[in-house]
Amino acid sequence: MRTIFTILAASTALAAGIAMPAWSAMRTPAAADARTVTAAFAAKRNAPTVILVGDREDDDRRGDARSATRNGGNDDDEADDDDCKGDDGGCNAAANPAPAGTVAPPTNGLFGTGAPPKVQVK
Amino acid sequence: MKSVLAALALTTALTLPHLAMARPVTMTAQLNDYGGDGAYLSLYVTDASGAYAGSLWMAGGKSRYYRHLTDWYRATGGDTAQINGISGASVGSGRTLEITLDLADALFDAGYTLHIDAAVENMRESPNEVAVPLTRAGADKPVPGRRYVASFAYRM
Repeated sequence: MRTIFTILAASTALAAGIAMPAWSAMRTPAAADARTVTAAFAAKRNAPTVILVGDREDDDRRGDARSATRNGGNDDDEADDDDCKGDDGGCNAAANPAPAGTVAPPTNGLFGTGAPPKVQVK
Repeated sequence: MKSVLAALALTTALTLPHLAMARPVTMTAQLNDYGGDGAYLSLYVTDASGAYAGSLWMAGGKSRYYRHLTDWYRATGGDTAQINGISGASVGSGRTLEITLDLADALFDAGYTLHIDAAVENMRESPNEVAVPLTRAGADKPVPGRRYVASFAYRM
């Protein structure tokens, strides 16, 4: 008889141990200060994504020598990238070409098949 | 062993003439200090009859400005497939562009002419800024441009 009570107590304790977190997970916290353990994880999952914003646009607006130097001498104004100017072909302009080194030169009969192009701006 | 040697001889025989048919050529364009934005430059070649033969380099990465390189644009229709793999950044005022390309020997002393079109934002377009015959004798001899290019030379 004593053995039966012992087994019953142990199984009850086990059931309570398993059931409590499950029960807690199914309940929505009524208030922020009444969160369960799993509700805290759920809150982290639902947290808004942080978007980092750079100051690149401000640099381009300056258009100063520092900006050109950082681009390795390329004076292109990167702020123009998103423009769709009507007098420049706008958004219907052809895609930009692949830069040197990313693909082989065209097979126009002018190039050998040796070294890829090298370029530097001094 | 004999077949390996034969294969080696064959591949060598196939490779050597090909290497001899092309050579690295360095082209240097020194720009004037014109005081504007970066210059777009297209380097291209016409054959003895003046017909467009192909492009060698495009300095400037945004295709929407290519129509200002008027002669090149007329010849190619602005087809960027002509300059895939041979394009780079525009060249700032007063700077020097130096490109080394592996060019076919057949380009030299065969009536080909190298042209450079130039354009700068808010400034005048300059088609045929430079036109120089491609000859072995013309190597290392700088030629002046018309507006933006102070001098251009190629070295073999």
